[in-house]
Amino acid sequence: MSPFSWDHFLAMGGYAAYVWPAYAVFFIVLVADYVSPALRRRRNLRELRGRIARQAVRQQRNPTSP
Amino acid sequence: MSNWIPLWVHKLSSPPNFYRFAGVVRPWALGLALLLGAVALYGGLVLAPADYQQGDAYRIIFIHVPCAWMGLFVYGVMAIASFISLVWRIKLAEVVAMESAPIGAAFTFITLVTGSLWGKPMWGTWWTWDARLTSELVLLFLYLGVIGLYHSFEDRRQGARAAAFLAIIGIINVPIVHFSVNWWNTLHQGSTVRILGPSRISGDMLWPLLTMMFATKFYYLASLFGRVRTDLLAMESGKDWVRQIAQGRAAVPEQEARR
Amino acid sequence: MSHPPLAAACAAMLRRDLTLAWRRRGDIVMPVLYALIVITLFPFALGPEEALLQRIAGGAVLVTMLLAMLLALDAMFRSDIEDGSLEQLMLSPQPLALMLGMKILAHWITTALPLIVIAPLLAGMLHLPTPVMPVLVYALLLATPLLSLLGAVLVALTAGTRRSGMLLALMLLPLCVPVVIFAAGAVAAAQQGLPWLAPIAWLGAALVMALVLAPLACAAALRIALDA
Repeated sequence: MSPFSWDHFLAMGGYAAYVWPAYAVFFIVLVADYVSPALRRRRNLRELRGRIARQAVRQQRNPTSP
Repeated sequence: MSNWIPLWVHKLSSPPNFYRFAGVVRPWALGLALLLGAVALYGGLVLAPADYQQGDAYRIIFIHVPCAWMGLFVYGVMAIASFISLVWRIKLAEVVAMESAPIGAAFTFITLVTGSLWGKPMWGTWWTWDARLTSELVLLFLYLGVIGLYHSFEDRRQGARAAAFLAIIGIINVPIVHFSVNWWNTLHQGSTVRILGPSRISGDMLWPLLTMMFATKFYYLASLFGRVRTDLLAMESGKDWVRQIAQGRAAVPEQEARR
Repeated sequence: MSHPPLAAACAAMLRRDLTLAWRRRGDIVMPVLYALIVITLFPFALGPEEALLQRIAGGAVLVTMLLAMLLALDAMFRSDIEDGSLEQLMLSPQPLALMLGMKILAHWITTALPLIVIAPLLAGMLHLPTPVMPVLVYALLLATPLLSLLGAVLVALTAGTRRSGMLLALMLLPLCVPVVIFAAGAVAAAQQGLPWLAPIAWLGAALVMALVLAPLACAAALRIALDA
C-alpha cells in the first residue's frame, strides 16, 4: 500500500462528491439529534426556575394564602 | 434469587432514580460510541482497501448499513417499550418508547440519504423503487406517524399510549410490507441490483462495519438517556426532586450544572 | 348474554348509522364526486393517448378510491364523539368491538359501496379493457373493506385529538401499502393476461384477518384515545 497522503484520501478515488456528503449527513443529523434535547432541557429548566421565583414572590406578598 | 430482579427493576423505573442512573451511564455510553466510531472510521476510511468493483464509493456502507440496522433495532426497542407501557402502564416505558422514535427516524433518514448518495455512482440514479429502499421509506413513514400522533394529543401520557398502540400495529405491519414489496418487485421486474452479497465482504471491510454497529448502539443509548432525562424533568416538573435540580442544589452528578 | 339481544343490538346499530347517513345524503355523494374529478384530471395531465391511459388505469382508479375513502374516513366517529353517543356505546353492556364492527360496516356501505359502483365507469374513462373490469371490482370488493377496517383503528386512535386529517393520511400510508400493491397487482396481472388469483387470495386472507382483529384493535384504541 502506498504511503498515506491527504490529497489521495480526500479524493476518495474520485467519489469524494458522494462519500463525504454521506458522512456529513451522518454527523450533522446525529449531532442535531443529540443537541436538541439538551436545548429543550435548558428551556424547561429556565421556565421552571421562573415559576419557582414567581411562586416565592407571591408567597412573600401574602403569606397566608397557599 | 428471583426476588431481587423485580425489586431492582421497580426501583430503577422510578423517575428520580432512573434520572440519576441515566446521568451516570450516559457519558460512558457516549464516550464508547465516540471511541468505537473513531476506530471504525479509521478502519473503514483508511485501512480497508478499495473495493475492486466499486472503488472507494463503497465506503459509504460503513455508515449506511449500521444506520439501516439501527433503524430496525430502534423500532424493535420502541415496540417492546410500547408493549410494556400499554400492559403495565409504566411511565418510564412510555418515555423510552416515545423518545426512541425521533432517534430511529434520524437513523432511517440517514440510511435513505446515504443510500441515495451510494446509489448515484453505482446504479446511476438517486432513487430506484427497489424492495429494500421502498421498505426503508415505509419505515420512515411509520416513525413519522408515531411522532405525529404523540404530539397531536394535549395530554402527553395519553398521546404516548395512543402512539405506543400505533407502534405495535406498525411492527406487525413491517414484515407484511416487506413481503408485499418483494412480491411487487418481482411482478414489475424492478432493477434489483445486488452489489454487496454477504459472502463477498472481506475481513478488512467487515470489522469496521461491526465496530460501527456497536458505536451506533452506544450512541443510541447515550442519546436515548439524554432524551429520557429531559422528558422526565418536563413530566415531573411539579415534583420536589425536579425543583431541586432546577435550583442547582441537587444530589445529582455535577455535570448537570455545566450544561 | 343470550343471542337474540346481541343480534338485535347489532341490527339497531347498523340501522341507526345507515339512517343517519341517509339523512345527510349529500355527504355520500361527495367521495364519488371527488373520485370523478380526480379521474377526469388524469387525461388532462397526461394527454389523451389511449395506450398510456390504459397502462395507468388500474392503478389510477385504485389510488383515487383510496384517497376518496381517506377523505371520508375522518368523519367516521366525528359526530358520535361530538354528541357523546360514542361514550354511551363504550358503557353499554354489548361488546364494544362488535358494535364498532357494525359502525365500520355502515361506513363501508355508505362510502365504499358507491365508489365500487362507479369504479367501472371511472376505469372505462381511462380505457381499461372490459375483460379486466371484473378483476378490478373483485380487487375493490376486498381492498375497500380492508381499508375501512384499518382506517377505523387509526381514526379511533386520533379520536381524542382535534385536527387529524393529514396525520391520518400519514399513519394510513404504511398500512395501505400492501393493500394497494396486491389490489393493483391483481389488475395489472389481469391486464397482462397473467393469473391474477394469487394477489386476490392474499387480499382475501388479509381481509379475513382484519375482520377478526381490526374491530378488537379499534375498541382498544378508542379506549386509549378517550381515556376510558
